[in-house]
Amino acid sequence: MIGVAKALDPQTALLAKHAQHVVLVHFPIALFLTGVAFDWAGRWTRRKALGEAAYYNLLVAAASTLPVLVTGLLAWQFQLEGQRLKGILLLHLVLGFTSSVLICAVWWVHFRARRQGAAVSDYLWMLEAAAVAIVGLTGHLGGFLAGVNVG
Amino acid sequence: MRRRVCSFVLMAIGIAAMTFMGGGRRSLVASAGQPPASNMEVKIDNFSFGPATVTVAAGTTVTWTNRDDIPHTVVSDDKVFKSKVMDTDETFSYTFAKPGTYSYFCSVHPKMTGKVVVQ
Repeated sequence: MIGVAKALDPQTALLAKHAQHVVLVHFPIALFLTGVAFDWAGRWTRRKALGEAAYYNLLVAAASTLPVLVTGLLAWQFQLEGQRLKGILLLHLVLGFTSSVLICAVWWVHFRARRQGAAVSDYLWMLEAAAVAIVGLTGHLGGFLAGVNVG
Repeated sequence: MRRRVCSFVLMAIGIAAMTFMGGGRRSLVASAGQPPASNMEVKIDNFSFGPATVTVAAGTTVTWTNRDDIPHTVVSDDKVFKSKVMDTDETFSYTFAKPGTYSYFCSVHPKMTGKVVVQ
């Protein structure tokens, strides 16, 4: 019961130093994957509503990458005191940055197309597929580091 | 001739025996002069320290070895000792000079905790 109370205590959650990263990271991942799924479904079925849903999912996904990046860097500074990273941690950092850039790039392509009133490129799915793969790999490594993906 | 050979063999056996005894005495003296072996191993595996609590004499060196596939650290609660990130099979050692209880954790996985009791 004490553990439950502690888990629900805002102060505990906010001062947990690196805990926010592992919580916040789920938002861009889920929103981006959902956004891409809506985009592909919208293009497949030619339903405009799905394209709209895709855009707003991608918009929030891109916005939520910023706090994830910040909390990830803070976790590195707080928990590991900024020491030089190697191995899985370094790979997770590099892929995390790459994922964020790709998520923002995909949203930006959609944003530009909307502003110009034009359709997105037919080849955008390739960028989206690459981004999905990188995001998935980054998430897998993050889960591995956190002990979630360990058998 | 035969007597000379026998005495030579006996003398050789005697010299060998004395050498062995002398060497043994030397090794006994050497080990008596050294401080008693004082090392303790703690393995990091499957997101836990094993053994989680170790009790050692002052002056003991504790060595942590990461047998996990995941990077871990060893950081004492009061920052008395602190390792770098240890990848698989990397080690960290710390010699405990003062008696006391030293609680520590892995800063990557704060749920991983351990304790060193120095007497």
